[in-house]
Amino acid sequence: MTEKLAAQLLEEAALTLEEVAAGCRVEVDWVIARVHDQVLAGPPDPDPAHWAFSGADLLRLRRIQSLERDFDADPMLAAMVVDLLEELARLRARLRSAGLDPD
Amino acid sequence: MEFKDYYQILGVTRNAGADEIKKAFRKLARKYHPDVSKETDAELRMKEVNEAYAVLSDPEKRAAYDQLGRDYREGQEFRPPPDWDAGFEFSGSGFSTAEAADFSDFFAELFGHMGGARGRGAHPGGGFRARGDDHHAKILLDLEAAYRGDTRTITLRAPRQDASGRVVLAEHDLSVRIPKGVREGQVIRLAGQGAPGLGGGPPGDLYLEVHFEPHPRYRVEGRDIYATLPVAPWEAALGATVKTRTPDGNVEVRIPPDSSGGRRLRLRGRGIPGDPPGDLYLELEIRLPPADSPRARELYEAMARELAFDPRNNSGG
Repeated sequence: MTEKLAAQLLEEAALTLEEVAAGCRVEVDWVIARVHDQVLAGPPDPDPAHWAFSGADLLRLRRIQSLERDFDADPMLAAMVVDLLEELARLRARLRSAGLDPD
Repeated sequence: MEFKDYYQILGVTRNAGADEIKKAFRKLARKYHPDVSKETDAELRMKEVNEAYAVLSDPEKRAAYDQLGRDYREGQEFRPPPDWDAGFEFSGSGFSTAEAADFSDFFAELFGHMGGARGRGAHPGGGFRARGDDHHAKILLDLEAAYRGDTRTITLRAPRQDASGRVVLAEHDLSVRIPKGVREGQVIRLAGQGAPGLGGGPPGDLYLEVHFEPHPRYRVEGRDIYATLPVAPWEAALGATVKTRTPDGNVEVRIPPDSSGGRRLRLRGRGIPGDPPGDLYLELEIRLPPADSPRARELYEAMARELAFDPRNNSGG
């Protein structure tokens, strides 16, 4: 029998520090270090207990983590690659909305 | 079940050293990275490459695989002998059961049993209790699901522990109520639908990254929707009220007089619902009636005679 489930939309400030660390399969300290490196938008609150993360933050941190793992990448380099990938996705979406095939 | 030649997948010889394996993996990880690769099967190949690297980069798994697979070739029919892994001890590192969900049945058959005794800081036995891993997947939704918050059935492949403690990959269906107003690239969470917990710990969550299926009529950017609205020349010239479809049902749209082709009309708040909701943009496309009858030709000829119209004037043509 198919289970019926309600899905929660992760908009702004939906995830705690512990949840985002579990979602990236990393220790909390890894997330704290990346937030202090300002790889997410906006300067962090001084107290990590007050931090809250969006679904987009989770995706971004997971991408950074996989680049660091697969390529032994420097965290700043991994963040820059993710900046470029996100920019690429934005530009592709704009091409599609203009009726052009990005590929 | 077919044998998988992990050395062949990474393009290295069986006596390749750890550095060589790592180098080959990185080269392929770059080639098949799903965000940049132009290869049509990039995602599938990346999963194979990850799986091969998960085995060959782990000395314990590699030694067991080497002993077992010595006489097999890629694609050959394969069945592991019972207790083939006796004498090997897997401490588990690198890839989690969540990531192993993407791996093949071959991998699950060989290494699946170790998954249950893993997790962050997990130790087999001894009253250990831990939350299950979170799982992540991408889902393709139709645009209408975002407008209305419909229920959709999605099929996922996830590791599950069988009665003997072996982790097997099993497909299961989930009927998910999609939150109204979800946008491309957003994440939705299904609490408790990740990997089972250990020692009575709670299960992990399932995170789904939302993408929209390409739609023949609508293009999506954020919460805004773009579509083409075909109009007759007289509707564009004289103005008209026309009926058209939107993802949310039919609407009547007023075309202002003297509209040119390519003009965009905005239907405020008719995009994907939200706070604020997106807009629906309709781009006018003027379609000419064919001059395929004497009467149609007469009408075109009358226009040519009586309208002082030069389409190349002021257009550089």
